[in-house]
Order: sequence, then C-alpha cells, then structure tokens
Amino acid sequence: MAREDRKRRQPDGDEAADEGERRGRRDKRPKEEKPAPPLPSEIRNKEKRSEVYAKLKREKKAQKRRLGRERGQAAQRAAELGEEVPEKQVPRTIENTREPDETVCRPDDQELFAGNDADEFNAVLKQVVTPKVLITTCRFNSGRGPAFIKELMQVIPNAQYVNRGTYDLKKIVEYANNREFTSVMVVHTNRREPDALLIINLPEGPTAHFKLSKLVLRKDIKNHGNPTSHKPELVLNNFTTRLGHRVGRMIQSLFPQDPNFRGRRVVTFHNQRDYIFFRHHRYIFEEKEKKIVSKDKKSKGETKTEKQINCRLQECGPRFTLKLLTLQHGTFDTKSGEYEWVHKPDLDTSRRRFFL
Amino acid sequence: MPRITSVESPGCPPLRAITTDILGLIKVVEARTRPAGVAKVVETWGEPDASRAILVASLADRAVDPVLAVARKNGVVELLNPLNGDALAAFKFSRTDQTVGAVENDPLVALHLFRKHAPDLTTLGTFLACTEKGKASVRSVAKENTASDSDVGPSSTWDVCNKGTLQFSSVDAGENYAMFGGNGMEVNLWDITSCSKMWSAKSPRANNVGIFTKPWFTAGTFLCKDDHRKIVAGTNNHQVRLYDTASQRRPVVSVDFRESPIKAVAGDPDGHTVYIGTGTGDLASFDMRTGKLLGCYVGKCSGSIRSIVRHPELPLIASCGLDSYLRIWDTNTRQPLSAVYLKQHLMTVVIDSHFSAEESEETKSKQPDSSMVAEAAVRREKKKKKNVFVEEDEEGTQMVDPDDCDAEAVRKEKKKKKKKTVTEDDEETQMVDPDEGDAETVRKVKKKKKNRRVAEDEEGTQMADLNDSDAEMYAPKRIKSESGERSKGTKKKSKKQQVA
Repeated sequence: MAREDRKRRQPDGDEAADEGERRGRRDKRPKEEKPAPPLPSEIRNKEKRSEVYAKLKREKKAQKRRLGRERGQAAQRAAELGEEVPEKQVPRTIENTREPDETVCRPDDQELFAGNDADEFNAVLKQVVTPKVLITTCRFNSGRGPAFIKELMQVIPNAQYVNRGTYDLKKIVEYANNREFTSVMVVHTNRREPDALLIINLPEGPTAHFKLSKLVLRKDIKNHGNPTSHKPELVLNNFTTRLGHRVGRMIQSLFPQDPNFRGRRVVTFHNQRDYIFFRHHRYIFEEKEKKIVSKDKKSKGETKTEKQINCRLQECGPRFTLKLLTLQHGTFDTKSGEYEWVHKPDLDTSRRRFFL
Repeated sequence: MPRITSVESPGCPPLRAITTDILGLIKVVEARTRPAGVAKVVETWGEPDASRAILVASLADRAVDPVLAVARKNGVVELLNPLNGDALAAFKFSRTDQTVGAVENDPLVALHLFRKHAPDLTTLGTFLACTEKGKASVRSVAKENTASDSDVGPSSTWDVCNKGTLQFSSVDAGENYAMFGGNGMEVNLWDITSCSKMWSAKSPRANNVGIFTKPWFTAGTFLCKDDHRKIVAGTNNHQVRLYDTASQRRPVVSVDFRESPIKAVAGDPDGHTVYIGTGTGDLASFDMRTGKLLGCYVGKCSGSIRSIVRHPELPLIASCGLDSYLRIWDTNTRQPLSAVYLKQHLMTVVIDSHFSAEESEETKSKQPDSSMVAEAAVRREKKKKKNVFVEEDEEGTQMVDPDDCDAEAVRKEKKKKKKKTVTEDDEETQMVDPDEGDAETVRKVKKKKKNRRVAEDEEGTQMADLNDSDAEMYAPKRIKSESGERSKGTKKKSKKQQVA
C-alpha cells in the first residue's frame, strides 16, 4: 500500500519501457512514468539497501546541520541589528513533558511547612539531635557487600557498623533505639552483589526500601580521589512531590546539617525519573592565568594575562543508583506494617508519570 | 492516563465528606451538581499543629443538630458543629482515677458519638470513648459545661480487657451494644446500658501443622443494621472473619485476603456486604454470607487505608488513608468516582448524608418547579436552624465579652433582612408557578405562615435574651426541636409532591 501511495504522489517522469509492463499488470494507473526511489526497507539486496540507507541518513544529517546553522545565523544577525532574538528551541524530553501532578509541592504551601515541622526528621534537621547511623547487612554478606559498606562508612559521618549475626532486624532496630541511633541502614546482598538498601528512621519510622543498582566501587572509578573525614555538603536534586520531599528529608537526616566547607566534599542525591543517583565528589577552586591575545591593531602581538577561577571536580566513589520500592509507616515490620507508598504495577500507567 | 483521577471519573453525585488528619486539620470536601462530578475541598478548620493530631472522629449524622466529635492526640475531645466548624465544647479527656499526664501513655483509640438524641435538653451529646489500654467509658457533655475546660465525669466506665492493646471499637445501629478488639485480645461484645460483657470470641483451632496464631484484631463492624449478633472482624494476619454471637464463639466464616493486615472494615446497609481496606492500599468488598470476594477496587491507591465509610443512601463509599487522598468509589461498578488530594496523612473520614445538593443552585435557578420550591423551603428552614445555632453561639460569646455586642447586633439585623428577602423570593416563585393546584398553594401558604411564625419566635426569643439570660438556654432549643419536626413533616410533603 505504501508503495502505491508513493507512486500516486509522483506520477511524472519518462520511463516508457517499464510503463507498458506495468500497464499489463494494472490498468488503473496508465500515466505513471517515473518510479520514485524505493524505500530502503523495500530493497532486498542487503548491500544496496545499506548503501541507500546510509545515503538517506547522511542527507538528513546534513539538512539538520544546515537548519541549525541557519537558525544560529539568524539569531546572530538579529542580535547585531538589535532586533528581538528568536527563541531558542528546547528539546522535548520525558522530564519536561511530565504529566501534571497535584502532589507536587509548591513553595507557597503553608500546610507543607507545617507538615515538615511535624514529621519525624525534624529533630535531626533542626540540629536538635546529631545524626548517628547504624549500618548493618543481611545475614549472608560477602562479595562486594563488605567493600561497599566500607566506602559507605566513609561517606556518612558518625556511622557505625554492626555485625548482623543471626539477629532479627526488629531486634537490631530495638538495639539501635536503645543506643540512640537516629537511623539504621541495611545493605542487602544477593549473589554476592549488593542489590537493596533499607533505611529505617528511628525511633518512629518511616522505613524506606530501595532497589540498589549500578554499583561502582571506588577502585573501579578512573582517577578517583580519596575522601577526607570532613562533614560533607549535601546536594538533593529534583525531589518535587510530597513523597519526594519525604524521601529527600529522610536521606538528608542521615547526614549532619553543619558541613565543613573547608573539606570541599559533596555528596549528591540526584533524582531523575524516580531514579536517585548517588555521587560523591571532591572539588577545588583553582586560579588559573589565562593568556588573552588582544584584537586591537595597535597592540598587535601583545598578550595579556587574566586571572580566572575555575572549578575542578574529582569523583571519589562509590557510585550507585537507588529506586524507591516502598515507604512504610513506622519502623521495619513487613507483616503488620502500614505502607505510605507501595509501588504497584497498576500505578505505572505512563512513562511520563513520576512519583518523587 | 493522568494522575488526577477526577478527570477520568464519570462524576461524583452531590456529597459532603469530612476528613481529619494528623496535623489536626478538619477538611470538608463537597461534590455538587454544578460543576458536576468534581469533589473539592471547600473548607478547612483548625490550625496545623502536630500535637493536636486527630486520632479518631465520629459524626452524629442527624438531620437536626448534627455534632462531630474529634479526639486529639493531646487528650482533648472536641465537639464541633459539622455544618460550620464552630466548636461546641472542648474538654480534656482523662479518667477520674488517672492523672492528666497519663494521656500520652494511654491515648484514645475509639470514639463513638451516639446518634440518638438525648432525652434531656441540657446535653450536647453522649459518646463512648475507649483508650488503648481498654478503659471504656460513656460520657455525656452538658451544655453548661461547654465554657469550662474541666473534665466531664463518666456516667459509666468499665475495663474491656486487662491485657493487650485495644485497636478498634464499633457500636451497632441500635446503639445498645459495642464491640471491641485489639492486639492480644479477642473480639468482645458488650452491652452499653448495663456495662456487662455479653460474649467474647475464641481463637480458631490450631492449623494442620499445629501452629496457633495470637489474636490480633485490627478492625471490625456489625454486619447488619437490625441485628447485633453478626460481627465482622479483620485480623492482622489478613483474615476477614464473621462471628455469629448467637451460635458459637469461633468464627463462622474466615477468609484470607492478600498479604497485608486489614486496617479498615465497613458494613453495607444491605446486611451482607462488607468493604475492607488493607495496609498496602487494597480495597475490596466481600459477601459475608458465603465469604466470597465480590471484587477489588482498583484505582492507583498506593497507601494504607485507614478508614472506609459507606454512604447511607447513595451506592458509594469513601476511603482515605496514608496516601493523602480521599477517594470516592461507586459500589455497584467498583469504579473510582473522584479523588481529592488532601496533603496530609488522613485518619478518618465521615459522610454527612443530610447534605442537600442544590444549596448552591438555589440562587442560580430562576424558575424552580414545585418540588424544588418545596425542597428550598425545607432548606431554608434548615438554614434558619443554623442561624439559631449561630445566634446561640453568639449569645454565648456575648456573655463572655460584652465589647463585641454592637457588631453582633448589626450582623443580626443584616441576617433578619436576608431572611425577609428570602421569604419574598418564595412568594415570587409561587407567583411564577402556574401549574400548581390550589390545594398545594394553600399548603404552601400555611407553610409560609409557619416559617413566619418561626421567625417571629426567633425575634421574640432574641428580645427575651436581651432581657433575661436564664431563659435563653431553653427557648431556642424548643424552637429548634419544633422546627426539626416541622422540617421532617415538610420533607414528607415534598416527597409526596415528587411522587405526584
């Protein structure tokens, strides 16, 4: 059908020999003279097909570049003439075409602030209590698990590792409560590979269960740095909805709220499409002398040096990705716990719907 | 599909629901006929304060003089007017044999405000309250007591259990029996009037492996309206059980539902259907005669369900919980009708079934038909009742601070004017209707006269109030009750008219 349509669109040309044959086959279209170039997918010969396809791609790419150049030139011309610069085109992505969501927090929402003041993390975030984190594992911890925990201990100040042994998690929560820990983190490994992270806020919950993936340890990062023991700065990106705020505040309550800025250490939790990306960096501001060749004709060949400050980043692992599976009200209790949010398959109605 | 389910919902019938949340806010959600099918928050009462979080709420859902009772985290029980949110009474709840500081250790978990009107005119309401440790008590709030912050003495009190923690209580439709259940205690049935235990359940036998499960009941309700002997209870290990107190102590029917504890159970007026909500946000209905699952309510509900209410007349239920949404479902099709985002973790929802939908349209409709006029008259009477309420309150405040007197007097005058205009409107609309028979118009005129009489009475009482402070406590009350009867009468009339 597609072929017929194309032929109908381009009836002009001169190819008589072919025409007679075609007329023999189908009498309905007598005046077709030139066949349009066939679609690459219709060519049976693979070599030929790929050739035609490559050519098409090349043309498309060239056209795109040309259009871009024209747009750029038009903008430049407009800027020179002092006219209004045409608006820059913004590509449509899944993030900026996200479905509207009524649970997204607005900055003028007084109820949100009141709710924040009332929640379980408030004592830590208002610096009434210093955070103290207990890190433990699942019962069988091996492979990359111990190494991951070692690095996690360096990331989170005031963290303490406790052997899991054969204790129930509820017992460990009780133990941590008695020793005034503010959070418990449990690294779960499966087949010697960390695959889940459980964060329990104490004493009254909530409990968040994350899927952990894409773990890269420090030694596997190229040109990695080694972190100092300063209190890190914390960057939380894109936690927009009410649930996102809650998760963000929960993560925030793991870290002390008074960073040592001299330490120049940053811990980032970046949320994008409900995946939370963890990165750990050191940064440095450097003063650099930059040579500038002046364009004036009088001082030709004369070079000026200008001091410029630029920032350099160095990653010092680990690097991993979290995805929220459940958020449970209260401390860890899978049997009689109430969930504030559970990921269910019927929630996934669209690719453009996000919860954090 | 968008996340805002109100877009895709087929529309919600006129409805008024009141929700309470953990910040101590009371939010009123209304759906009206215009714009059709969209429920939204119309009012919010209270200031956000976590220490005043509302644990339980109960509504005495009456046509006349409804009362909403809420129990707060700091041990205060408040009685409110559910129509305008005015506090009628607030007092610190504590037992006589306890110190006030014990409230934190022993919070209220169940509250039931009796719907039956108290026979004497001095009480605002009577309620059954039960704390976590199983101390149940019936108290009545007197009107004299409203101003004072003191405790109200219980009229009767008893211990439901001596071990375990109580988690729910439910009172049957006749309000003579109450059931209790909780962690580590079996379901109990108590006679409220004599404060005696009538029946208690017995755990089911150990299963075939010999494992015996500890009783842990999380929710329960009476199955039928007119039968207090059938009890439905939900357990923590995701079972729905039907007990027949007349026949045996072990459950008659026991059904498993999914994997998470059952957190809310509500009965249906048809006498055999129950609605259950679980800790992971699953909502389903069961036919308890057979124990069969009728169907699940699917609609992107992702947080634990704390409370389910069934509308007494319309075929719909409202559910709310930790996902901060109030959802309204059709029970026939099991489709979501509307979802309202209320920002906080919600504790309870109650439905005000006497909400008249056309209240908003009253001013808009230019040529109402006969039934509409009749209904409007009923509504006006209701409004007057409200006015009486307000005036009463105002008088109360007058007693307290005489500085505001002038402003209030002005307001009263305005109200009177309004009333007059309303009656005029009534006349006009009658003039417009040409189809009506003579008999009806006569009836209407009578009604109008009645209305006028009520208005006169009110004015009279107001005059009396200014002169005599003792009479004021009783006089408006009488009118209220009278007008209530009248409103019932007119309602019947209007129904007849509709039939005709």
